Amino acid sequence: MSNIHKGDVILQISGLTVKVQGRRILNGLNLTVRAGEVHAIMGPNGAGKSTLSQVLAGRADYEIVAGSAVYLGEDLLALAPEERARRGLFLGFQYPVEIPGVNNVYLLKAALNARRRQLGLQELDAFEFLAIVKDKMALMQMDESFLKRGVNEGFSGGEKKRNEILQMTVLEPTLAILDETDSGLDIDALKVVANGVNSLRTDNRAVVLVTHYQRLLDHIVPDHVHVLAAGRILKSGDRGLALELERRGYDWVLEEANAA
Amino acid sequence: MSARPDATPPLARLQPALTLLPGSAAWQQWRAATLAQLVTDGLPTPRDDAWKYTNLRLLERRELAPAAARPLAANALEGLPEAQGPRLVYVNGRFHAALSDRSLPDGLVQTSYRDLLDGAPPAAVTSPIDADQRIRQLNACMAADGAHLTLTAGSNPRLPLEIVHLHTGGGAYPRTRLELGANSSLALIEYQLGLGNADSFVAAVTDVVLDAGARLTHTTVQLAGDRTVMIDDAHAVVGRDARYAHRLVALGGQLVRFDLRVDLDGTGAQADLRGVLFADGTREQHIRTLLDHRVSHGTSDQLYRGVAGGRGRGSYDGKVIVRAGAAKTSSRQSSRNLLLSKEASIDTRPQLEINADDVKCAHGATTGTLDENMLFYLLTRGLDRETARALLTYAFVGDVLKSIEPEAVRRAIERRALGRLPAAATIREFIA
Ligand SMILES: Nc1ncnc2c1ncn2[C@@H]1O[C@H](COP(=O)(O)OP(=O)(O)OP(=O)(O)O)[C@@H](O)[C@H]1O
Ligand SMILES: [Mg+2]
Repeated sequence: MSNIHKGDVILQISGLTVKVQGRRILNGLNLTVRAGEVHAIMGPNGAGKSTLSQVLAGRADYEIVAGSAVYLGEDLLALAPEERARRGLFLGFQYPVEIPGVNNVYLLKAALNARRRQLGLQELDAFEFLAIVKDKMALMQMDESFLKRGVNEGFSGGEKKRNEILQMTVLEPTLAILDETDSGLDIDALKVVANGVNSLRTDNRAVVLVTHYQRLLDHIVPDHVHVLAAGRILKSGDRGLALELERRGYDWVLEEANAA
Repeated sequence: MSARPDATPPLARLQPALTLLPGSAAWQQWRAATLAQLVTDGLPTPRDDAWKYTNLRLLERRELAPAAARPLAANALEGLPEAQGPRLVYVNGRFHAALSDRSLPDGLVQTSYRDLLDGAPPAAVTSPIDADQRIRQLNACMAADGAHLTLTAGSNPRLPLEIVHLHTGGGAYPRTRLELGANSSLALIEYQLGLGNADSFVAAVTDVVLDAGARLTHTTVQLAGDRTVMIDDAHAVVGRDARYAHRLVALGGQLVRFDLRVDLDGTGAQADLRGVLFADGTREQHIRTLLDHRVSHGTSDQLYRGVAGGRGRGSYDGKVIVRAGAAKTSSRQSSRNLLLSKEASIDTRPQLEINADDVKCAHGATTGTLDENMLFYLLTRGLDRETARALLTYAFVGDVLKSIEPEAVRRAIERRALGRLPAAATIREFIA
């Protein structure tokens, strides 16, 4: 962790081609993410943004046809999902899963200790752990009663997203991939979530935000904005691109790509 | 394995054992006649509708005769949770005074099934309660002892009563009867515990009668040995505004079947049945319930969870009958089952027979595998696959286990249930 410096490559995706149920969803996708950067990925519904996120996190039901993803110098696609997590890759789900009967706070503790073991750090005892969690919950403006409940069990849409970011702030990942964490959030919650993400903006980490809305990017100002369409990153730019997409939609990006 | 073609049927092999049993001439006569009929009829087979999912062919080669008394080590009950109240211990169906603590609370009167053996067989034993009486009758033929308990009207003992059935091998025929007087209440915990690894066969009968307004919480913790075939046949008659709650935790045994018949006999009677079965390894765990709504305003709730792993097998066969006149009945029946391996199986058959108007009935049964989305979510949080699977498996039965009381027993049982899962040590802290 500490030996990652601003500008080091954290993730390098090259020519990634992925099929789902025989259909090609990603088609030669390239993307490089460096320490200290925040990337926003935008794109039409069904373009494959969640597919990319899930493939990076290690979901098995996708067929990787070609390409590679190198994470901190390792072949990411060869690692089991839990190994990716322990190496500091975090996926914030577009649709966080409800797991009744599995306690929210115990999951978080197990997750953090799995990460710490990987880093060669001592596991935290319940007391030390709670101190950290309570601190982060204050940041996320979450009531402590959420700790006692089942994972996402009966949480509202917005509460689930907040819980994802809470997990992220506790786990302090090297690479956070947040799949539409802003969807379904009210304006105040959006700020809280943005605060959580910004608290992780350091020179030795990176964040990939999947979003449909430029609004989020007012609060988390990205270094790079990409358009994912036709299975690839069709266009990249700075913040200005997000503003332009908001005005003009995606068709022109596709037309431009076809013309090229 | 080929059965000897000339082999004597298992029930016929029991005939010499009859003469060793205590009882009047009338009893001996009844036993001989009843057993002869059983020999003719044979043991139930899957061709009998009520036994569709339970195959007793294991009994072909098993010794069914009651086991001879054997000395027991002082630590025979070590495998049990700590006693929560007075404890009556039966070893292979016979009362064991030295291991028992008979300081029964005021209002609870203990007599013995043995006392019944002096007169003629009473109707409570001989009269049929079901179309297929074979296991009950087998028990009635062979039972020589058993707890008979009566709680006087209005009594509410604070501590639970525990009955421990200890099986050490051979046949055992425990017979328990519990009557609760009007407006009394009791918690009864029954343990079925196997000691050692000898072949055992247990045919247990438990009869419960609840007078008006009585409340019983009856917990059956089944920790039979790995080579035990057991059929546990319970029957509860629930009077007006009385409430029968049953909790089943089926963890042990080789092939175990729990048969529970509940008659809601008075208006406003309630039954609340919950259970968990674990069929791991090559274990078979079967549950059969029959809920008979005989009069109006009855409520019944069934919540069963089954988990099968390895080559384990299980079943839930549950029937709810709403008789004509049982208006305002409310009945819910849910059986959800989880298969942890390709070779495991759990059959379900929820049945509903409604002969009255103005009733609310819901029933359902499902069998499936672990939810892949949940599993993936846990993996992305860094949990290893084995822990994640164990955690989800435990969560699947957790809500039913939570309903076990008192807390000390619940915790002990949770620990035991956990012990059955892979990665038990790592997930223990999740339920701390
Ligand atoms: N398991 C699956 N089975 C069948 N089709 C799938 C599966 N997963 C994804 N797809 C398809 O792959 C395509 C890409 O889906 P994906 O969820 O990645 O899109 P997205 O860019 O995240 O869209 P949105 O903006 O709506 O979230 C869609 O057409 C979707 O229907
Ligand atoms: Mg998506």
